[in-house]
Amino acid sequence: MTRLRIFLFRLSALVRSRQMDRQIDDEISSHLAEATEEYVQQGLSPEEARWAAQRSFGGVTQTKEVYRHVRSFMWLEELSRDVRYALRTLRKSPAFTTTAAATLALAIATNTAMFSVLNAVLLRPLPYRAPEQLAMLWTEDPTQNLREGRSSLWDVEQWRGQSQTFADMATFDTVSTVLTGDDGVEQIIGVSISPNLFPLLGVQPFLGRSFSTQDAEQRQRVVMISHRFWQARLGGSSDALGATLVINGFPSQIIGILPADFQVARVEADVWEPHTTHRSVRGGQTWFVVGRLRPSVTFDQAQAEMSAVARRVNDQLPAVERNQGITVVPLSLYVVGPQSRLALWMLGGAVFCVFLIAAANVTSLSLARSTGRAREMAVRAALGANAGRIVRQLLTESVLLAAIAGVMGTLLAFGGIRLIRAFGPGNLPRLNEVSLDLRVLGWALAMSLLAGILVGLAPAMTTMRRDLRPTGEEGGRSVSGGTSSRRIRRALVVAEFALAIVLLVGAGLLVRSWWYVNDIDPGFVPERVLVMEISTPTTFSDPAQRTDLYHRVLEQIQAVPGVESAGIIDDLFTSNPREHVLTVERVDGTVSERLRLTRDEVSADFFRTLGTPLLRGRFFSIGDQPEAPRVAIINDAMARRSWPGHDPVGRRFQFGQRDSHSPWYTVVGVVGNMRRQGLEREALPQIFVSLAQNPPSRSVGFFIRTSSDDPLAMAGALRAAVRRVEKNAPIFGVAPLEQQLGTYLTQRRFQTSLLTGFSVVALLMAAVGIYGLIQYSVATRTQEIGLRMAIGAQRGDIFRMMIGEGLTLSLIGVALGLVGASWLGRAGSSLLFGVTASDPLTFTTVSLVLMAVAIAACYFPARRAMTVDPTVALRVT
Amino acid sequence: MTPDKSDVLYGTLGLMVIKTLDALGPLHGYRIARRIEQISGNQLALNQGTLYPALLKLEQMGWISSKWGTSESGRRVRIYALTRAGRKQLHNEEAQWQRAASIVERFLKISENLS
Repeated sequence: MTRLRIFLFRLSALVRSRQMDRQIDDEISSHLAEATEEYVQQGLSPEEARWAAQRSFGGVTQTKEVYRHVRSFMWLEELSRDVRYALRTLRKSPAFTTTAAATLALAIATNTAMFSVLNAVLLRPLPYRAPEQLAMLWTEDPTQNLREGRSSLWDVEQWRGQSQTFADMATFDTVSTVLTGDDGVEQIIGVSISPNLFPLLGVQPFLGRSFSTQDAEQRQRVVMISHRFWQARLGGSSDALGATLVINGFPSQIIGILPADFQVARVEADVWEPHTTHRSVRGGQTWFVVGRLRPSVTFDQAQAEMSAVARRVNDQLPAVERNQGITVVPLSLYVVGPQSRLALWMLGGAVFCVFLIAAANVTSLSLARSTGRAREMAVRAALGANAGRIVRQLLTESVLLAAIAGVMGTLLAFGGIRLIRAFGPGNLPRLNEVSLDLRVLGWALAMSLLAGILVGLAPAMTTMRRDLRPTGEEGGRSVSGGTSSRRIRRALVVAEFALAIVLLVGAGLLVRSWWYVNDIDPGFVPERVLVMEISTPTTFSDPAQRTDLYHRVLEQIQAVPGVESAGIIDDLFTSNPREHVLTVERVDGTVSERLRLTRDEVSADFFRTLGTPLLRGRFFSIGDQPEAPRVAIINDAMARRSWPGHDPVGRRFQFGQRDSHSPWYTVVGVVGNMRRQGLEREALPQIFVSLAQNPPSRSVGFFIRTSSDDPLAMAGALRAAVRRVEKNAPIFGVAPLEQQLGTYLTQRRFQTSLLTGFSVVALLMAAVGIYGLIQYSVATRTQEIGLRMAIGAQRGDIFRMMIGEGLTLSLIGVALGLVGASWLGRAGSSLLFGVTASDPLTFTTVSLVLMAVAIAACYFPARRAMTVDPTVALRVT
Repeated sequence: MTPDKSDVLYGTLGLMVIKTLDALGPLHGYRIARRIEQISGNQLALNQGTLYPALLKLEQMGWISSKWGTSESGRRVRIYALTRAGRKQLHNEEAQWQRAASIVERFLKISENLS
């Protein structure tokens, strides 16, 4: 109560501070007048009486000072005075202010923008209820190098039944989905989910209801749609609920709309449909599994239990199906994988280094300036300011500077964030969530404060340490301005070089990796190839109809002028191939085994179109008709795995168990490995079968080699060709093959170009830093240089002396930095490709570049030092 | 330091001020200062200036109030008066002082007897 009262009192005093100043002045003068009068009455002369009155009163100024302290928030008044003064000083030296503020603003902007990415991608919890309890469950097989393998519904049913640590498990997978609308058919992204998925994630529909178990069991044709689909296609109208969409040829009722921006794990779907979870046979392992842990169960406990469950389930399976483990991975780690995490932390660290270098430069600048202001400080000290007061003044100045920079930086960062959202790597998950939220603003504020303190601390410290008096008497003829501040500035240059080389080494390693990755032969020639995916209309229920359709489309496409050749494969880029049970006639007998491989139907001209080399045997031919013996082409990896050291041509295999009735295939050819999971991943075993002999998928990819360097320009003509054959076949995913391959590299390009950019900035700043130091050193040592020359030093000696100073500092910095770089390189080695973290070429090149830059930066001031005229230098005082 | 004049004990100045206002009614600053000096028999080296921050503090605590008025010699002065809260505070502090003083007194007596 009293506290509040005092606070209010002081607050009002703050507002009326001028008026209150006048009041206390009046009061004191009345006091003195009364006292004088009394002394006069006691018989003193008026003069003596006035002196006596003042003596008994004590110091008038001190009284007022104490009075002001009691009256209001003294620090606030002092602060406002300091700020006003600081603003005046900053305005007086616009060159310093602009340079320093711009440098800091850039550093703060890049840091804030980078932090906004880190914040959205790594720090913000996933948008589900209690996301820390969510986990992905994967089927694993160490013997097959199978990681993040999908699971069958039968498996999941066993797991659910036996697990104590999981409250629930749900399954989902993308399904090929064709939407029939008023203006034709089109491919959309559909996801089939178990009805418990949304309750498990804790997601409530934005409108309508979620799926029920009955929906799934009775195979009701009901769907839920995404918020985006609802807005774009149905105008966001509430009539959408209960409306009907024709999906895969069947009318399906919309029962719910999901909240905006909702995604399941990494899938951005348009429609969701339910599936039953019960299976009596094991079936395909095609499902993603997400589970929710019971409260207070750890991932380790869950993993231990699931490993035991896996062993028990294994026991129920035939031998060939065994050897499967289960891995439990926190959902957040799946959504943003370890590579992306590491890369983002690395970039965050890099941009923080840039910030430190910028702060070091500005510190160095303000140190130089504070040495020049030594006389001002001496005068202030002489007038009664104590060291604390002066330090506070200096800190106010630098914090104010940083605050200006912070505001500019935040505005810049706002622009930067929009750029990142527009041009960032599309396959970086959660990038769409990047925004300038409170946490990001807080970060910008923290960075600004940190900058202010870092920049102000060194000048303040040297001011405190310096004896404030003598400089004023010396009249400026001082020894090159404060040895302690020189020492700090040299240390700053060393630190800048150390940080710069760490960044440069990192960038160098990434650039080298980038070259290696780009040099990889994907196993096909992507230039001038256009990809076009086509779905069959739902009326084509017979596989033979589909085969016929694909062949007719292929004929039409090949007839388009400018098309050199065209081929079909059901899916070229497979991120996560399934396992198959395969029975192979090996050299040493027939064996059944579980293999992780891809199996695709391709047309006869597929390999020729893509330019994949034939290593042995032959390609498919017209003779491989449905009634002819079934033939297959395998890749080199498959050949080496199943028939090591032997010619596989003429050998046979079948899908499924040895005694299953599935047909036997004869290997007729071996082709080179194609990197179909992205450039950086080794090719898996691949089997290709003839499109003519096998029932094809509902949707396939057409690969069209054109004579044009811009294959996309032909898209119109090619679409028309497809439409001539079948106007109800949805066409989608039209893109140049080079571009599709490039998407695998976007994250690497993002990392490499950002880190390179940061390190170039760091390099420039370090150069500016050392240039400034040597420049200043020359300017303050003019007399010394003149003296040295007067007693016989040659111009060359002076030049070497100045260059030597810079070189020593940069050498120390580089040496320290290399140690740090080799240590950090190991931590980030998983981001590299083709080079080791201690790549000698990168380390040497980067060191040489940095030294060259240091010498170049010192060259100009050193030249100036050479031209010092001793007679002039010694005369000037 | 002169042995016959003691500095005003820190914190006791406030008590002296409210006691003075209690005894004499509303007064301006100079009168309060003179009164304190008189009562102490000029034993206190009161820097009269220190009175003003003390008055401000008391006013912030709500124990005294002030307004502009005229002195006996017709000058415009600020006149301070004890508030109801101030009177209560005075009683509290008087009691506390008495207690403290009597303890110290007893203590000193015992020490004298022992020596």
